Amino acid sequence: MLPEGSLSTESSPERGDLGGNRGFWELRGVQWRTDLGVLPCSSSADDVRRVTANTRRRYAALRRRLLIDPLIHKDGSNFPDPVMDNPLSQDPDSMWGRFFQKAELEKMVDQDLSRLYPEHGSYFQTPGCQGMLRRILLLWCISHPNYGYRQGMHELLAPLLYVLQADVERLSAVRKLYEHYFTDNFDGLTFHDSDELETQDDQVKFHNLEELDPKIQTIISFSDAYGAEGELGIVLSEKFMEHDAYCMFDALMNGSGGAVSMASFFSPSNGPQNGLPPVIEASSALYQLLAVVDSSLYTHFVELGVEPQYFALRWLRVLFGREFALEDLLVIWDEIFSFDNSKLNSENDHETNFEALNSSRGAFIASLAVSMILYIRSSILATETATSCLQRLLNFPKDVNLGKLLKKANSLVNDAINAMRSAPSPMYSDGFHEPVKPVTSMGFRTHSLSSDAAAPRSPLSVVRDSYWEEKWRVLHKEEEQKQTNPQKQSQSQRKGWSEKVKSRLLRTESDPSSSKAYGEKTGPSRRRVRRNLLDDLARQLGLEEEEETETEKAVGGNGGSEENSSIFSDPPSPIGGVNDNDNDNDNENHSEHSSVASNLLVDENDRDPEPELEPEPKPSNVADSANAIQEVYDNGPGPVSDRPEDATTPLKGVENEESAGKSGLNLKDRIILSGKQWFWKFGKNNGDCSLEKGGDSTNSSLVGRDQKSDVASSATDVTSKGESVNQNTICSLKNLGQSMVENLQVIESVFQQEKGETGHVDNLSKKALVDRGQITAMAALKELRKISNILSEM
Amino acid sequence: MVLVLAIGDLHIPHRAPDLPAKFKSMLVPGKIQHIICTGNLCIKEVHDYLKSLCPSLHITRGEYDEDSRYPETKTITIGQFKIGLCHGHQVVPWGDLDSLAMLQRQLDVDILVTGHTHQFKAYKHEAGVVINPGSATGAYSSITYDVNPSFVLMDIDGLRVVVYVYELIDGEVKVDKIDFKKTPTTTI
Repeated sequence: MLPEGSLSTESSPERGDLGGNRGFWELRGVQWRTDLGVLPCSSSADDVRRVTANTRRRYAALRRRLLIDPLIHKDGSNFPDPVMDNPLSQDPDSMWGRFFQKAELEKMVDQDLSRLYPEHGSYFQTPGCQGMLRRILLLWCISHPNYGYRQGMHELLAPLLYVLQADVERLSAVRKLYEHYFTDNFDGLTFHDSDELETQDDQVKFHNLEELDPKIQTIISFSDAYGAEGELGIVLSEKFMEHDAYCMFDALMNGSGGAVSMASFFSPSNGPQNGLPPVIEASSALYQLLAVVDSSLYTHFVELGVEPQYFALRWLRVLFGREFALEDLLVIWDEIFSFDNSKLNSENDHETNFEALNSSRGAFIASLAVSMILYIRSSILATETATSCLQRLLNFPKDVNLGKLLKKANSLVNDAINAMRSAPSPMYSDGFHEPVKPVTSMGFRTHSLSSDAAAPRSPLSVVRDSYWEEKWRVLHKEEEQKQTNPQKQSQSQRKGWSEKVKSRLLRTESDPSSSKAYGEKTGPSRRRVRRNLLDDLARQLGLEEEEETETEKAVGGNGGSEENSSIFSDPPSPIGGVNDNDNDNDNENHSEHSSVASNLLVDENDRDPEPELEPEPKPSNVADSANAIQEVYDNGPGPVSDRPEDATTPLKGVENEESAGKSGLNLKDRIILSGKQWFWKFGKNNGDCSLEKGGDSTNSSLVGRDQKSDVASSATDVTSKGESVNQNTICSLKNLGQSMVENLQVIESVFQQEKGETGHVDNLSKKALVDRGQITAMAALKELRKISNILSEM
Repeated sequence: MVLVLAIGDLHIPHRAPDLPAKFKSMLVPGKIQHIICTGNLCIKEVHDYLKSLCPSLHITRGEYDEDSRYPETKTITIGQFKIGLCHGHQVVPWGDLDSLAMLQRQLDVDILVTGHTHQFKAYKHEAGVVINPGSATGAYSSITYDVNPSFVLMDIDGLRVVVYVYELIDGEVKVDKIDFKKTPTTTI
């Protein structure tokens, strides 16, 4: 009769009678031991007792082995070689070496223990308890030398001991109440010193245990000294509290073969899969879930530059021990431990990216953290700086409605599991099976929950994003100040910036704001686009250095437009710069506006600075870009500058398209609109730029529009494949090449159409332009081809 | 488990430039609780170095010491043991056990640590133990041939002391161990 049910603590989070009393009616110690895997879930008391006894024996043996004074067996016959084993020996394995290590550990442990739970000092600061805690911690650290002792381990251990103590006290309470069940008194004949009253009572009452409340029954059976394994098997035993606490602590730290092992949170070394320390990984999983659940809060964090591990480290390492009072913490740990810790199988072949939390228990931990963040949502949103935000997070309010918190956490568990599971594997090849559907859906802020979670490197990308945002803002301010002046400064800034861009060619798409902005676009596609954009951007920036010519570059337009859009996606400082290059103030203004709009942060995504732009992205984009192109074109295209060196590097090749950049800029401007609009424009740009070449924007635009949009979408599709992880640079470049080839094809086709159409252009100048345009177009085409060749070779 | 280092007769810089490298690498701060030094360091720098190994430094005056403020003899109590310290050039004949025993009785100590002969010795006799840590640098001595660098580390644990002798012979550190037990003194 050892029903788990009677001990079940998986009941509702509301625990009414938890309050300060020590009378736990559920036996937490036993429940936790079962949850953690120390005790088996079997229903037979004997099994439980046997396992208990074994674990205790193990601990006793360990204790005997490791804590023995090294000097004692020096008198024995087998003397360790003095050369190896003298006190000054440098050999760490020598007895003395271990002795000194132990002394160091002890010092650290003592330091922590003296500061443990001062408000419950009446229990925790007693020498007996402290001694037990010290021994347990020392033994654990000695047997796990690769972890050593880290601050915080004692805080994990303390509640475990506490619940065991509570159980024992419960037992003694029960013992008092039901004393006659515990005695060996069977026939009323006791030793003379017992009460007269007692004997009478004994005769009256049944001694049948079945009559009692099942809970009491279990308590009694657990403490029966005659059960299996005798005294060692008494499950609720004061004598063996240290042993039991050690076993629980060990199970908690190891994870008992499950996914969540607290020890991994303490280790600074990188996890096997991601090359990230597990605690960082877990923190990023947390952020991932938060992004899925409450993206505005997430972007707020990103804006402020608050990385998850700043606060999550403490939360995770002591399992929220510092955020709640002890009684509340016990409730929370009840809930956490009730979740199973076995590794979740991921559906695809690859493992998820969050090994550290890859179990339902881990998922619950993440959801609990997120629900805690949500609990103080309003105060976090009110903060302006990272410091104040962290302050709010690290000083979690003392009196929380635990029930609410836990209920919310429970509701988020499934999301958490999905979020972690659906994280795209870092392998590039996986990206290909993600169809890109950006152009169709108009949903602005939809990001499906199953959309790819951040790649494992999300924390890094979060940093990058805010870095970019800041950069953008800084540069944007500058541009606003100097509107009409051509700026070498911004150029140099851009250049420096392009360096950074190049170095961070592989931005992961885990950028949350982008995820927000790009709504329906799936993660990987987003990522790829962004990366391509980055590539383009880099080239673009390289281009800017030789920016004299403008419009012909339009020929290279497709590539240029790509880059242009990339400039948009990233802080559009280059846009500003490029704008500056332009003589067209109009364009500059446009681009400025667009740069404003290009603020990828959520808030600004909605802005549409362009007056001409209609809500419907498609037609407006095309029209606008068409107009822009025409303007640009009319402004007098500079001489085609064939850049022979363009062929050599993609960077330079971009320069070609730089002028197209101008028109592209206008296009870009539009592009900056939030959401898919952005992508739309992206596509449009491609289309429009190619239109430009024809010189007759309207006609060609009409003609080429459809094609272009197709091309654009396909381009984006193509570019969408790809990967945000470093290893996929080459792949992304390949993609770039492919997209360029496609663009080229489109351009050519349009071009040919153009030729047909512009045959009857009235305007002579236009014709001249067209011719020149054609020439430049051809030249640009050639270069594009070279570039794509190079890229594909790479 | 108190570790006490007994060292002396370094004669730095007059007869030796420094401790042997192997000895130096072994003497790291943090492990040793007391240092007792027989004398003849000779200069302040050596004193400071020893002080850096352990703040509790006891030293007696040798005839070449430049600091004249060191005492001639010293008595220290560590654990259950009373340790006497003297350089040994005062006790004539130099290195003679009976004379040293006389000094021991005078100081009323269980362990007497002296030097001057630059030769490691550890005697046990009825009254107690006489230890000579030798010269830690292997400095020249007019009364000893073939001086090997040596020093002594005592591990005092209750009524038992384990004496580890570290000698540098042919470039290798040799360690030896001697056990001494003190009979519990009966107080009158």
